[in-house]
Amino acid sequence: MKRLLMAALALSSFLFPLASAHHSAAMFDFTTTVELAGKVKEFQYTNPHSWLLVDVTNEDGSVTTWGFEAEGPSTLMRAGIRKNDLPPGTVITIRGNPMKDGRSAAAWIDAVVDGETINPRNGFAVIPAND
Amino acid sequence: MLLRKLVFTTLVLAAPTALAQDYTGWLDKDADWAASKARLQAFGEQFDSALSMYDFLYRQARGGDSLTWEQMQQPAYDWRGIYTRTGGGLSFDPDIRANETTAQLTPEGAAVRQTKIDRILETGGEYDPISDCRPPGFPRWATEPFLHEFIVTPDQTWLINEMVNDIRRVYTDGSAHTLPEDAYASANGDTIGFWQDGMLVTHTMYLLSGQYQRGTQPDYSDQVEVVERWKKVDGITLEADYWVFDPVNLAEPWYSRQSWTELDNDDNYLRLRYWDCRENQNNDILQKDDGTSQFLDFDFVDDDAAASSDNEIQ
Repeated sequence: MKRLLMAALALSSFLFPLASAHHSAAMFDFTTTVELAGKVKEFQYTNPHSWLLVDVTNEDGSVTTWGFEAEGPSTLMRAGIRKNDLPPGTVITIRGNPMKDGRSAAAWIDAVVDGETINPRNGFAVIPAND
Repeated sequence: MLLRKLVFTTLVLAAPTALAQDYTGWLDKDADWAASKARLQAFGEQFDSALSMYDFLYRQARGGDSLTWEQMQQPAYDWRGIYTRTGGGLSFDPDIRANETTAQLTPEGAAVRQTKIDRILETGGEYDPISDCRPPGFPRWATEPFLHEFIVTPDQTWLINEMVNDIRRVYTDGSAHTLPEDAYASANGDTIGFWQDGMLVTHTMYLLSGQYQRGTQPDYSDQVEVVERWKKVDGITLEADYWVFDPVNLAEPWYSRQSWTELDNDDNYLRLRYWDCRENQNNDILQKDDGTSQFLDFDFVDDDAAASSDNEIQ
């Protein structure tokens, strides 16, 4: 319980920088949320930021590739999200704060895969080692 | 060469200090923290410079302890593990929120901070130099999240942040600072230190100017110098007293208590990984004319210019 409480407190103190700890998040619109359903095209698991590319089929049948930005591998691992968890073809419903300029990219908020919610922003929670 | 080093060392250690300072040892961050923090702030304010404070601490410790490799297994020196900043977000002083500061700023320092605040209010954003993998610099280094490792040896201690593969080296072998005629300013400067009863005391100088963090945190000048006291306060927590001296931006030294927590890593998946912005084209960040940030070209957008409403992308 103590560890969970500490993690929750630590997470709450990071609410702002979660948007992007490495660069200003000025390019995202944090007043808007997009929710899209599609299939994973590629998981670019890189520092300083990772990108999850998702192919979304539009109403007219065309396909748009969306990019969802998250933190790098170490932070994603702390959130329990590993590269092999999201191989190409994975069916996913994903939410993000979109770009202000209209391009098909967003700051990744969370996603649902096989009925399970994953949240990359949990990677900043401080889960302490056993003392 | 040896003579020059000895002369510089003597000058450093003989630097003028305030008389009859009250020594304040390590104070735990407990229920009385507000009072303890005020004492530690007042302790720093007795000194005219970081160097005079370090000199006082060095003399008070009688030159510090000589460590051996055998001692490295003792809890005070065993800093192994993967750590991260305990809290604080984008605030240099972890006790307050990111849009606040406990720094006692000079009029010049306050004006610089106000300019940052005004610009953010006007544009809704900013550009952070670390966006293209430039180092955050020190003392900002203390505020960065991500993974850390701390390597203690008898002669050096390495303070490592995963972000931009950033290593601070603390020379505890009795070396003086780099001689002034050989020195130049750099992101992490030049750090020397000594051990006293399991506490690492350091002094850092020859630094570049920078900001304590982005947002509304203040800036520091290239005259900034820092005294730190590091201590492993329990099996999983490292804490450090920070006294920042900056005659340009700070009217008084700025005290804060920084902290890092060892993370749960039972499966050993956590490790510091190489950090290079060129690894992924989608991490290219552009500084816009209004001082804010924008992504450049995405590899998943066929024609970024056509798809964007942003003039600078077009």
